[in-house]
Amino acid sequence: MSRNVIHALFLPLFLLLIVFPILALVVNLDVEGIRKTMTDPFFWASVKNTVLAAALAAGMALVVAVGFAYYHLFHRQSLIYKLANLFNDLPIALPHTVAGLALLLAFGRKTMGFLGETGAAFTLFAVILAMFFVSYSMAARALISGVDQMEPEVIDVARTLGDNPVQAYFKVVLPLMGESLFSGFVLGFSRSISEFAAVIMFGGNLPARTQVLASYVFTKVEVGELDMAVTAAVFCVALSCLIVGALSVRRNRYAES
Amino acid sequence: MLKASGIYKRYGREIVLRNAGLDLNSEIKALIGINGSGKSTFLKIIAGIVQAERGEVFINGKDMTRLPPEQRNVGYVPQYPALFQHLNVEKNILYGVRKNKKASKAVYEKVVEMLALSDILRKQPRELSGGYRSRVSLARALVPQPHILLMDEPLSGMDIVVRKKMLPDFRQVLKEFQIPVLYVTHDHEESELMADSFAVMDRGEIRSVVSAAEAFEIIQNSTLQTM
Repeated sequence: MSRNVIHALFLPLFLLLIVFPILALVVNLDVEGIRKTMTDPFFWASVKNTVLAAALAAGMALVVAVGFAYYHLFHRQSLIYKLANLFNDLPIALPHTVAGLALLLAFGRKTMGFLGETGAAFTLFAVILAMFFVSYSMAARALISGVDQMEPEVIDVARTLGDNPVQAYFKVVLPLMGESLFSGFVLGFSRSISEFAAVIMFGGNLPARTQVLASYVFTKVEVGELDMAVTAAVFCVALSCLIVGALSVRRNRYAES
Repeated sequence: MLKASGIYKRYGREIVLRNAGLDLNSEIKALIGINGSGKSTFLKIIAGIVQAERGEVFINGKDMTRLPPEQRNVGYVPQYPALFQHLNVEKNILYGVRKNKKASKAVYEKVVEMLALSDILRKQPRELSGGYRSRVSLARALVPQPHILLMDEPLSGMDIVVRKKMLPDFRQVLKEFQIPVLYVTHDHEESELMADSFAVMDRGEIRSVVSAAEAFEIIQNSTLQTM
């Protein structure tokens, strides 16, 4: 009975709500839209901005997550860890417009006026910070899950052989966490390329300068150039598939080894 | 060599060690107890991996109670070999060599020879059988010349036939280096094959006994009383 209910619900709902919208994008592609988009320099600028900012944001997220995972492993009772842990999942629950506004107030004209008229806001750096803000927790989760899967005896032995916690972390723990580091980067990167609200609030939507793929699609819909929006959207889907594919190929290889 | 006394440790509400203490001199001492009796916790407290709530640990006359593991110079061979998977066998064995490099190199060469590891030095840990992994784990702990060696059922994951074959080799190596060893086990035969002296972990306390048989008699009586 319950199995039949699952059969009856899962497949139709999955096809209708996940697969069908993606198909709707693909079937709405047209040659003219593809031609116009592929020759639009603003499209390619938004691709470059997206990939560059997402890669840097994911890299930054990974660096901070490596620090957090250290506290998770060795100083779980410390106040720093408890506070960081509390804030860790905040970006997941927070509306990303709120995150964007928070960044705007923190690094905008009032505090960073010496950088220019708008502070750090509405620059590619702001885009990177916005992407970092929303992707950090993904990287942190990936690393914590890696740290938790480690045999504690490996660290114990490293300590008795003369390593202090920092040495054990860098010489033994991190080299064994290649898979988690890769996952953390890829998850952070994919979360970053999908970000819209925080990026547009803090980084703006300046063509060629701070426009990313997500805001390019939004702009094209807004000005009524749906064919170009669809092309850019399918491009995003292909990019996401590439990332998800890379992650799953790597995971399979890791599982086999 | 090792003098531990008054060790008290609890996890949550469960008291694991009440007033545990033990003296270890130039000998291989088997610490016998059933699973979950606190043997491994006691070992980890000696190594500095776990902090006791009360009690003292002196090694070679020096108070080590508050020192972290890296400052104790205590060798530790855990239940599972816990080799560093990203390093080859040679690098695993030499991992703990920081000072006295010349003397450690001499120990390294001897250990490699005695444990028949010379043919596998370039191999990665994942390429080794369980028996060889345990040998490498022992070699890695011995090479930095620790004051004492703590072994936590290092062959428990292995077949009894392999274990019986390896125990005399292990004992021979440990005797060659005249290193005081605390060998935790719950196996009667293993303790007799390895140890010179015996102690039993009974209800959070450690008692010296004359033989493995006496240790198991005490364990049996305690188990019957708590049933």
